[in-house]
Amino acid sequence: MFPQPVVSATLYLGRLLAEGARKVQAVRERYRAIEDIREARGITLLREWLSPEQQAQFDASKSFNVVGCDTGKRYRIRHGTGTNVHEIDDAGRPVMGWCFVPSGPLVAGDVMLAQKIALETDERAALAVANRFPVHVPGQTNPPALSRRAY
Amino acid sequence: MATQIVMDHTGDTRHYFNADDTKALSQAEERFKLLTTLGFTGAVRDAAGETAVTRSFDPTAEETLFFPRLVGG
Repeated sequence: MFPQPVVSATLYLGRLLAEGARKVQAVRERYRAIEDIREARGITLLREWLSPEQQAQFDASKSFNVVGCDTGKRYRIRHGTGTNVHEIDDAGRPVMGWCFVPSGPLVAGDVMLAQKIALETDERAALAVANRFPVHVPGQTNPPALSRRAY
Repeated sequence: MATQIVMDHTGDTRHYFNADDTKALSQAEERFKLLTTLGFTGAVRDAAGETAVTRSFDPTAEETLFFPRLVGG
């Protein structure tokens, strides 16, 4: 048998740990709720600025297509905050990735909206700061070579 | 009410102002200048939904969206 003080201390410590765990969990949940609100605000803003066709695409696939204002090339912007812009061919297959993002800690909806506006209004400037990255193309064994500031 | 929407870490911050109010319009213009000086890009939409980048303050714009400078990822 353990002496009573040891038992009491153990119980006290157990309660303390349980209480601490509950507080950590509460903070985690509050943080997650704030993150969810931020994300939702970003998506709401994005949807306000998408064309009806782009809205339909986004609802169906969490991505939408834009046409570059300078070259007429088509791009698919996928949900995300980086490496989410793909140049696509006439069949809608990705042929090249372009990575450019607005600076600062922004949510996905904001990032996607800035990318859309940039490609639709000043494509050359957007691609001038972008880094290219290869994307998987079915049937293509050698991915295109990487290059920076290649536009 | 006209709106200036600024993308930020909270999602966005919206500044509403009455374009018929001279003082409010002046404040909106100051905000436009400050944000563009900081590297933000201003974009407006017309009634048809077409988007355009604006380099100078448009007192008739109903909605102006500002996003931070683009950088390579």
